[in-house]
Amino acid sequence: MKGIRPSRWGGQLLHARSCPATIPRRNFLASTVRCQSTVPAPAAEDLIEQIPEEGETLPRKLPSPLPERALQSAKLAALHSRLSLSKKIPLQTLARALVTPSADPNSSFNNANLAFLGSTIINYHVAEYITCKWPRLPMAIHYEALRAFSGPESLAQISRRWGVEAAAAPGEEVDPGLLQWASNSSALVGTRWGGYVRAETDRKHSFYRRGMSSRVVLDNDFGDAVDAGSVKDAHQHHQDTSFSSFVQAVVGAIYSHSGREAAKDFVESHILSRQVDLSSLFEFQLPTRELAMLCAREGFEPPLARLESETGRHSRTPVYVVGIYSGKEKLGEGNAPSLDFARRKACMNALKSWYLYSPGNKVRVPSDMMEEGAKPWKAPHIDIGEVI
Amino acid sequence: MDVRTLSRPATQLLKTTRQTTLLPLTTSRGHKTTARTKRALKIAPHDSFLPNRSQPFPAADHIIYNPPASEASPEHTPFIFLPPNDPRREAIQRMRLSSPEALGSVAGASPPESDADLPPAMSYPRRRAHYNLTEDDMAEMRRLRNEDPLTWSTNALSKKFNCSPIIVSIAAPAPAEHKKWLEDKAERRRERWGPIKTQAREDRGRRAEMLYRGEI
Repeated sequence: MKGIRPSRWGGQLLHARSCPATIPRRNFLASTVRCQSTVPAPAAEDLIEQIPEEGETLPRKLPSPLPERALQSAKLAALHSRLSLSKKIPLQTLARALVTPSADPNSSFNNANLAFLGSTIINYHVAEYITCKWPRLPMAIHYEALRAFSGPESLAQISRRWGVEAAAAPGEEVDPGLLQWASNSSALVGTRWGGYVRAETDRKHSFYRRGMSSRVVLDNDFGDAVDAGSVKDAHQHHQDTSFSSFVQAVVGAIYSHSGREAAKDFVESHILSRQVDLSSLFEFQLPTRELAMLCAREGFEPPLARLESETGRHSRTPVYVVGIYSGKEKLGEGNAPSLDFARRKACMNALKSWYLYSPGNKVRVPSDMMEEGAKPWKAPHIDIGEVI
Repeated sequence: MDVRTLSRPATQLLKTTRQTTLLPLTTSRGHKTTARTKRALKIAPHDSFLPNRSQPFPAADHIIYNPPASEASPEHTPFIFLPPNDPRREAIQRMRLSSPEALGSVAGASPPESDADLPPAMSYPRRRAHYNLTEDDMAEMRRLRNEDPLTWSTNALSKKFNCSPIIVSIAAPAPAEHKKWLEDKAERRRERWGPIKTQAREDRGRRAEMLYRGEI
């Protein structure tokens, strides 16, 4: 009989194993903690990749709150009901919409996918609305109008009006009802979608013409050059992008849980319902010449300025009211303290009234045809193009 | 009546001269108290603000509509800017035919019958296409310009060939050294300006930019 040496037992049990187990353990982050997540389980290759190397300690602190904590958050429930979201959209998805890639780079837990989906839906609805409602807008104004409705600044404003607040710093312990974003993160580069980095950005000391056609082809949805390096106010920009990504992610969540029509209704009631003064976006170079070219193109009589009324010609503050006529039809009217300015202003007003032509307030857009029992499509008025 | 209106300015002139010569300057009395000021400033409202009293009874319903004097909004498209398939075009045409006076001064109001009813045209340099120049004219223009750009300036050539100066500057541009000389001359003149004139010129340019952006 072999002698038992109980004195060695304690040592065996108390000693930590010097070498790690040879069987690969499943990733702590991917499987153990977040089994309640709304995202599908990652593929096996991903798991193997995410296994920590030998000697590396597992991170104790998660970058964002756990999905199951969403059910306990009062802020999140309040936000859900404030937005009148459908019951089909779980609180966990809304919690995920609040986690930006700058807080949690893992795309299985941040809102990057939902925000990309949402941004395409928002931009589609806004662009078709602008095209049908103001068919004669020049491309530059079209881009600015698109930015005014669905640009990062506007969407950030919308999310602030919804009552979304940002956490002081992202982390596991914060309330899931707060927006999680960090301004000093390197993960912001991954949030750019659409557009190409221009080749000439590398060559510093040369001037390149950035025309409208190349903006349409190369640049992003709002006609801005894709260049992450040179943002003027980086903090403000990242903040706006983070807040706007929540709005986009909510639209993406509505689309994936409730369908296309619910997403369209949401976009119409929250984004397209805002008022934009398009006439303040114009900047002209040579308005008198542009109006003359317009009249020549459309076959109208050449424009002629006529002095409709004046007061105080010899005083310090005269006022002239000038009307622009094409034949006997009046095109526009402007008033200014000098004859020349009044004429130019009248030309600008005439051009604005040309560009801002709208078929009406209730325009039909192509996506209306997807509804059940829609009337046959009647093509909207599409202008032949800008005045050159 | 006519005689009185004609003679009135002359009599007033006589009166005022006599007053200024004989009487002290402050003859008219101001409204020294609040009550007197209020009474003096009490003006009856304009007719358009008052209810319609054309019928004694029952009082006719009407809407008081007194929009402030303002510029027309660019969202009101003028009649000729409406595309051919727009329903507003037909509606305005129908209204013009049926009741021309009903539209008043609305954007779609019917235009006056003749040019005499329109406001006076302003005089400013504007494009009047002649299309009177031939190939030989262009060659002659270029020859003159190259021979003596000082005598045959843009304006001189435009007068000689009866075309606009812009056509001359496109068809027969001055030689490079002449342009350089003109620019230097203008630069020397600009250098002689004092600070006030320089500032005034800058401000004028800035005002034009603001105008084009719609800020003033």
